[in-house]
Amino acid sequence: MESHLIKLENVWKIYQMGDVQVPALRGIDLEVEKGEFLAIAGSSGSGKSTMMNLIGCLDLPSKGRIFLGGNDIASFGESQLAQIRGRKIGFVFQQFNLIPTLTALENVMLPLEFQDVDTSKARKKALEILNLVGLSDRVHHLPSQLSGGQQQRVAIARALAVDPEIILADEPTGNLDSKTGAFIMDLLSGVHREDSKSVIMVTHDFHLVKRADRIVYLKDGEIERIEHNHKEQGGA
Amino acid sequence: MKVRKSLRLAVNILVHSKLRSWLTIIGIVIGIAAVVAIVSIGAGLQQDVESHLGGLGADLITISPGGGRASAGFRGPPGHEQGSTATSTDAENLTKKDVQVLQSVDGVALIQATVSGQGEVYYLGEKASVSIEGVDPLVWKEMTTSELASGRFLGPSDYNVVIVGNSIAENTFKQPLTVNRMITIEDKPFRIVGILQESGGFGGDDRSIIMPIDAARDTLEDVGEEEFDSITIKAANTDDVEQIMEEAEQKLLISRHLTEDTKDFRISSSQSTLETMSDITQTISSFLTAIAAVSLLVGSVGIANTMFTSVLEKTKEIGIMKAIGAKNGDIMMIFLLNSAIVGLVGGLLGIGLGTGISSLLPLLGMGIMGMGGAGMTTVITPLLLIGALLLSMGIGMAAGVIPAYRASKLKPVDALRYE
Ligand SMILES: Nc1ncnc2c1ncn2[C@@H]1O[C@H](COP(=O)(O)OP(=O)(O)OP(=O)(O)O)[C@@H](O)[C@H]1O
Ligand SMILES: [Mg+2]
Repeated sequence: MESHLIKLENVWKIYQMGDVQVPALRGIDLEVEKGEFLAIAGSSGSGKSTMMNLIGCLDLPSKGRIFLGGNDIASFGESQLAQIRGRKIGFVFQQFNLIPTLTALENVMLPLEFQDVDTSKARKKALEILNLVGLSDRVHHLPSQLSGGQQQRVAIARALAVDPEIILADEPTGNLDSKTGAFIMDLLSGVHREDSKSVIMVTHDFHLVKRADRIVYLKDGEIERIEHNHKEQGGA
Repeated sequence: MKVRKSLRLAVNILVHSKLRSWLTIIGIVIGIAAVVAIVSIGAGLQQDVESHLGGLGADLITISPGGGRASAGFRGPPGHEQGSTATSTDAENLTKKDVQVLQSVDGVALIQATVSGQGEVYYLGEKASVSIEGVDPLVWKEMTTSELASGRFLGPSDYNVVIVGNSIAENTFKQPLTVNRMITIEDKPFRIVGILQESGGFGGDDRSIIMPIDAARDTLEDVGEEEFDSITIKAANTDDVEQIMEEAEQKLLISRHLTEDTKDFRISSSQSTLETMSDITQTISSFLTAIAAVSLLVGSVGIANTMFTSVLEKTKEIGIMKAIGAKNGDIMMIFLLNSAIVGLVGGLLGIGLGTGISSLLPLLGMGIMGMGGAGMTTVITPLLLIGALLLSMGIGMAAGVIPAYRASKLKPVDALRYE
């Protein structure tokens, strides 16, 4: 129970495309510890996003089992899955995925409101986190009035709002220039170090990969190899 | 998530929705406006009928000649038949004997026998044809619900004096008629002793001249001695009206040597006339309301269509919301409230439009069903407005149920992938 925060056991994901079956994941076995910074790398189409979606309870595996905190997610109903997504997991997407008609503040408050947090409390918390990501002067801006980097910072703030155990970031810097990307990375590794949250991040960027404790390389839906990065950990 | 927060999101969606989705509100606006206007007209009709007929008292029963006619509903109010001489010449008139027979009916308080007809009235060189009613002055004073605007009622010893209905006094001649003026009716001089208050469009004595029955007999053509154009009974007790009607009919049939089939008189009560009128106005209103309902239906299909499009456009956002913890119920609530608000806004605009229409209609002076040209009344009650609002909200919600359900059932991964 205590040992693994996340555990994948022979996980398969097979997409049905008409008559054709597309196996996106083929028998993944993986354990992620509490407070670990895991990077997932691999070529396009290797199944990285598919794996993230499964871990994030946005989808269920075709075969095999996924455990979150010791519980098989297949045993949860839809509303329990929604609750896990809302409380335990914070998503950061490549496309930022903010609600375009809500301001930065409202976007960050949204996950708290889904958890029935008091409006005034949610507001306070959201402002706090927006301050943390350096956007206190942009809280009333709509996403369209923000730069890409700023939008991604709002997205990170939104992911952090409910104080989740796990941050899932699917190519969070993929749409940003390298300088902004580095800033986003600093933010993510910051929350990992300071709040000891587990961070799982998909990235193609070789430099970013080096910040992780472990790197999982995917190829054609299978784990090709796993690398360990000890020196970074010791430096922190 | 709490309803209040879902509401905020629903409003947010609405505020940022495109003009296209606002346009579909028009269907609801028109439908609700039509419903409000129609119901207010119907209620107005009802009120007119009730105030002008019901004012005559629920305890009045009228017997008039002309049984060949099946429908008694539109012949005017009891005791105040207008222009009925045209038919009264066809049928056997009512006689003094009939009055005596009716006097023997149980529960009768008063009996009024009248003669009536059209008469040529001259005043200051102008001429007009007016309906004349000859009444027993004392009984009429007891039974009428008309009130005097000026002057006095007819007295027992009066002969060539008249009381003039409000509309005739005010509008028929260039110079208004006033108390103590002399007018000439069928070449005979009459002095005006009283002017009646306006009784409203339907029924009443607005367009009549009332004179003692003896004078009327001498003045009007075609009125035989001992004959009457109508007999009005006032029941001692309102509850006995039905029973009095039945007994009166039986006794009259016997004394006039008639059967049900050869019956040549009609008996109606102000109650039964009121009911007939109510039935008719009810039928008209329900028919019009049905038309309005069709327009509401079309409007709701429009909203449903918009909602489907809106859900489709928001697929990605639904995915995002689900990814950050929205439950199916939250999504359902947001979209349901969204369409309820659309309905509500449509309802509010519709109520505004409908109220506008219904308050303009009386100004157009439209007379409906020959209601004396007094214009139509429209009645808007708070109940109608609340009902219309609830209806529009309900329609909005009903139209949104399926799209909202579809939205709530979207799989988060699929929704997120949607571009
Ligand atoms: N909904 C789907 N239906 C059918 N096939 C899918 C679906 N989602 C993913 N796939 C397939 O599954 C495989 C893995 O896709 P996935 O998105 O996980 O790749 P990825 O590693 O994230 O790639 P990228 O780096 O380009 O984002 C691909 O071959 C893709 O075509
Ligand atoms: Mg991907």
